Amino acid sequence: MKKSFLMGVAVAALFAGAASAAELKFAPGQDAKFNWKSYDEFKAAHADLKGQPLTIFGPWRGEDEAFFMSVLAYFTEATGIDAKYSSSENYEQQIVIDTQAGSPPNIAVLPQPGLLADLASKGFLTPLGDDNSKWIKDNYGAGDSWVGYGTYKGKDGKEAFYAFPYKADVKSLVWYVPENFEEAGYKIPTTMEELHALTDQIVKDGGVPWCIGLGSGGATGWPATDWVEDIMLRMQPPEAYDKWTTNELKFTDPAVVAAIDEFGKFAKNAKYVDGGVAAVASTDFRDSPKGLFAVPPKCYMHHQASFIPSFFPEGTKLGQDADFFYMPTFASHPELGKPVLGAGTLVSIAKDSKAARAFIDFLKTPIAHEVWMAQSSFLTPYKGVSTEAYANPQMKKEGDILTSATTFRFDGSDLMPGKIGAGAFWTGMVDFVGGKSAEEAAGEIQSAWDGIK
Amino acid sequence: MLSQIVSALGVVVAAVIACSAYFYFSNKILDLALPVKDGDIRAASRNLNRRALIRPWLFIGPALFLLIVYLVYPVVATFILSFYDRAGLQFVGLANYKWALGDREFRQSIFNNILWLAVVPAACTFFGLVIAVMTDRIWWGNIAKSIVFMPMAISFVGASVIWKFIYEYRGGNDVQIGLLNAIVQTFGGTPEVWISIPFWNNFFLMIILIWIQTGFAMVILSAALRGIPEETIEAAVIDGANGWQIFWRIMVPQVWGSIAVVWTTITILVLKVFDIVLTMTNGQWQTMVLANLMFDWMFRGGGDSGRSAVIAIIIMLAVTPIMVWNVRRANRELKGH
Repeated sequence: MKKSFLMGVAVAALFAGAASAAELKFAPGQDAKFNWKSYDEFKAAHADLKGQPLTIFGPWRGEDEAFFMSVLAYFTEATGIDAKYSSSENYEQQIVIDTQAGSPPNIAVLPQPGLLADLASKGFLTPLGDDNSKWIKDNYGAGDSWVGYGTYKGKDGKEAFYAFPYKADVKSLVWYVPENFEEAGYKIPTTMEELHALTDQIVKDGGVPWCIGLGSGGATGWPATDWVEDIMLRMQPPEAYDKWTTNELKFTDPAVVAAIDEFGKFAKNAKYVDGGVAAVASTDFRDSPKGLFAVPPKCYMHHQASFIPSFFPEGTKLGQDADFFYMPTFASHPELGKPVLGAGTLVSIAKDSKAARAFIDFLKTPIAHEVWMAQSSFLTPYKGVSTEAYANPQMKKEGDILTSATTFRFDGSDLMPGKIGAGAFWTGMVDFVGGKSAEEAAGEIQSAWDGIK
Repeated sequence: MLSQIVSALGVVVAAVIACSAYFYFSNKILDLALPVKDGDIRAASRNLNRRALIRPWLFIGPALFLLIVYLVYPVVATFILSFYDRAGLQFVGLANYKWALGDREFRQSIFNNILWLAVVPAACTFFGLVIAVMTDRIWWGNIAKSIVFMPMAISFVGASVIWKFIYEYRGGNDVQIGLLNAIVQTFGGTPEVWISIPFWNNFFLMIILIWIQTGFAMVILSAALRGIPEETIEAAVIDGANGWQIFWRIMVPQVWGSIAVVWTTITILVLKVFDIVLTMTNGQWQTMVLANLMFDWMFRGGGDSGRSAVIAIIIMLAVTPIMVWNVRRANRELKGH
């Protein structure tokens, strides 16, 4: 009895293992919008790695994890490498634990250059080499910016290229419902001045212009940092932005305080935000865009990155039920051009091996991007992909913003030290919306930064 | 999933076998090393004595070893780390301690912790005692007790999620789904974002722990109250004492020992409070407490092991006197009986 039970368990375990090997979503060689040649070439070049283990740790969970697994399936199919992906709800903490405990994954994927720089400085990451940085420079839109975000000082104090950008988000977007705009006769603002005018007009017409939600559990406050960063890029030259993220330009600098105040003009005006100012800090960012779709609309606009359609009501058709426009720039600052704020995940090697190198090579094939592009929630600055593969025209539009960007700046809070960018900055924004002045909030963030120097 | 169960079962079986083997063979070796032969009576009795001396150590040896590896060593390592920089590589002396004294967030955590210490153990013990006394007299007392005790079965995170809904706030003219705001609204008040009101939000978080822990206090104190001899209460009644006097002058002094146990146990728990704050606010809106601050410094943005070690040491220093007092008292009581 006992024996047969154990046998059954063992057999079931075997099957469970076999079932988890995913099948390829798109049959190689069939759909012409994919770059199958790159896949075949990669397959031919990495045929000698069969059966080698590879562990990948990343931030993708839920839907994104399923998408990534479908991409990974092509990698394992091509190389025969035994790749395992894992994630954690608290991936930022987990990677610190894993690296310090001396059992890092081969590949660590993180959305925070600041954290990666920290890991590199402690000697936990392996440089990817100059040929990879050159490849990014040549093939990515605003390639220099991307190389910069993957280049850190190592334990020896020397700068090297450590992190390969893969998967990006565009943040400078304002979401709206075209139908509501049409009915009320509103036009897409092309300058910040027009955006202010439109905001006032909506209030005058008896509506509420904005839905803003900063709630995100333990990370409450981060959506406000996106606002402030976007505004910084529209009021200050990119060099000032760069200095700000390294604290060469202090938080208490009038330039930063002015940007925070500009955000306050939207968020701290009870007439401008759905639910009043008190609702801003407490509304979950995942819930806040839902006001766009209420009848009658609870708000007309929502500032959020390209990932937010995942939280739109089910069945929302992008381009039809919901659309976005580029967060406009000030007509009074024409010299600043059209800057793009974005973010992305960066792939680095925490434990070197041939299989890990092969994975980095795989990310250079268009197919590694296109498979995910075709399933939504993936943008790439890689110019070599066929943009026909994007799942919908809106994503293509966002992808074009990325590949044609001249000034691309990474999410500032992700560049700052974790204690600031994922701590004091959030708290400061929450306090600011809660009633503190921009000077007070900025002063507290600055004193926190002084504290970690 | 199945493969995990199989391996877990395997580990359990292997561990049991390994443990039995350890005790069996270590005793065998001891017996062989110190033989008790019929021939030399003096040597035999000496060996027998030695065996008796060594055998207990064989038994507690593994436990002692684990205690050192998992408890003593980390404390020592943490203490040493607290004098090193963020990566634990460079000696920085007392710099981390100096930082802690000057840090705004650290001082706020200390203040909040003291607030928690002042309120939660007292409230739990008080409510526990009152409920224990009152439920003793009524026929549905046991049902009431079960209900009060039930939150003990819920994890801190689970309880926090429940209370998050109680404090939930909906903006504008939306219907309030949070219980507290719904009540406030019914009585004509304006709904509030409870967990973001500085200072007072600490108390809203404390209520969660009180809700969980009152059951524990009630059970212990209820048992203690049962131990009070009927005669003393009867005598008091005959002497004309009212209920209030009976409670304060007769009952409370007699269960004083149990009250102390409950109080100190909850005090130690409060010093370690972490999950509730993490789930509800993660220290935002000025609700940071020491344990969360330590976690924050250790793991956020690459971490700073030096500073988090300092905070860990401070938490340990705060807990130690209460632990020592508790153990001493328990020892005294054991000797007394």
